[in-house]
Amino acid sequence: MNSSETFHVVATELVVGAFSVAGLSFTLLLLVHFGILKQPSWISMFDHVAHFTLTFGLAATPFAILSGLSSAPGEGLNSPILVNKIFLSMTGFGFAVGCLIVRWRLGNNVWDSKKSTSFHVASGLAACGLMLLTASAGGTFSRGESLLDMFHLPYEHVLLFPILVSLISLFLGLAILVLSWKRMNAISSIH
Amino acid sequence: MKSRIHSVFVLSLLLLCSIFGAAEPGGNGDSLQDLQCGGACHGDASINETSTTILSLSTDETIYVGIPTTITLTVTNFETSTSGLIGLFLLTDMTGHSDMPQDAGWEILSDANGGAMNYIEQTLGPGQNETSISWVVRASSLGSTTFYAAIHHGGGYSSPYFGSTASGHEVSVQPVPENLPRLTADFTPPTLRIIDTPTELSIQTQFTETIQFEWKSEDGLIMNSIVNSSGENSWTTTIPAALQSTTVQWRVILEGEGPAQTTPWFILAAEESSWEIEESAVYLQAFALLFVTAGIVILLQTRLTSSPSFAKYDETSVVDEALGASQNTSPDTTLAPIPEGGLPNGWSEEQWELHGHDYLAGKYGGDQA
Repeated sequence: MNSSETFHVVATELVVGAFSVAGLSFTLLLLVHFGILKQPSWISMFDHVAHFTLTFGLAATPFAILSGLSSAPGEGLNSPILVNKIFLSMTGFGFAVGCLIVRWRLGNNVWDSKKSTSFHVASGLAACGLMLLTASAGGTFSRGESLLDMFHLPYEHVLLFPILVSLISLFLGLAILVLSWKRMNAISSIH
Repeated sequence: MKSRIHSVFVLSLLLLCSIFGAAEPGGNGDSLQDLQCGGACHGDASINETSTTILSLSTDETIYVGIPTTITLTVTNFETSTSGLIGLFLLTDMTGHSDMPQDAGWEILSDANGGAMNYIEQTLGPGQNETSISWVVRASSLGSTTFYAAIHHGGGYSSPYFGSTASGHEVSVQPVPENLPRLTADFTPPTLRIIDTPTELSIQTQFTETIQFEWKSEDGLIMNSIVNSSGENSWTTTIPAALQSTTVQWRVILEGEGPAQTTPWFILAAEESSWEIEESAVYLQAFALLFVTAGIVILLQTRLTSSPSFAKYDETSVVDEALGASQNTSPDTTLAPIPEGGLPNGWSEEQWELHGHDYLAGKYGGDQA
């Protein structure tokens, strides 16, 4: 029998571990693509590892978020760090979802040009970075310290939009998603 | 595909269930709870081991209706998990239904942790196997009530334990004597205050001519505060600010025509001022960030991915290659052979390249090839 705190720790470890491997793989992939690491035969391996671990981390993320909310002391969102954790994890989630969808729908075409490669790797790395930042905020929340404290990140400040702005952003995001999906389908051979 | 979706769904459901079905070795928080926390503290009662803990309730000899009184629970002979956490219940029934003091017409004014809950949690030090806690309660009607206490705690083998008082503790509520100095029946003592802020208490009494205010911090040293009268049977006093999260206890000694009365010790906990935010706005913004980010990533990536041909199943190049090989044609062989006398009059080389075959076919009145 485990408490939600323990479950949160397990889910967080899965998320952080998976995203860390994904981040490392994306970095190596970038180095190989740009010829800094001269091992072209590794491209396929890092490509698969990066996207698989990103998918795994993404699957574990909702459990980490839900168990984190239920294990937080007190009622509801009673700390700015918790709110920032939600924002960071959801933005990271968005990056990861976008990254995986384009890899799925566009296939190897994402590696066609340097610009495309750079952007795809950047979106994967952004997802990983934001998830690790979320984990760091968790450390600050529960233990009062974290490895990233050296950067003096403003976890105590929350940038909260008015509801109307959030609502417009939400619809805008959905519209962009639909449009880009249609455009992607026009390019993709998978119908 | 369907079976894979079903597998993911079932696994997800199982993972989620572990949150709700688990015991809470880290505690469940002080709250109003029935005998088994509704299954939330140690899960189902059937999985609990029987505790060897001895629970003993005690109260004042005389309890008046509408006047706060103290119920003390003494707990001995127990073991705990490594966390030292125990959960204690004050109940008026052992059926697990409608068994809280409120259900029997009693109001909890203060508990040992600075709240007003019938279930409270305490963390004990290593080796400690005895503790005593109090609730301040107030009866709203005459008659007798039987109180019970129960405990949830852990053990050496991570088993959840449950124990309760061997028998109930019956109290009899009597009518208030005439002219007895007392707090008003609707006076509710505060249980929480903010750190760094002095607490001004407003106390309403009845049949009281003078009052004396006493308070003590956790070190047990009893202090007095000046009490000012703010009207008939209305008093104000101030408790100094707390510098950290701690509790103070306070009581008043009431004097009037009737016999002097001393109230129970009320507990006042200090905590950081709570931070609040509109949760719906947070969740809305979080989902907006999710969709906007995913949308922008897909949109930009789609723009940057240039070639619209490609495709896993596009074999055009292979077919072209195969056709090229079988026909073995070259651009030169498609040109019509130039007649022996050279290009016809008025024809340029470019015109011959385009229409030479037609000329040879006689369409322009020329010779046959």
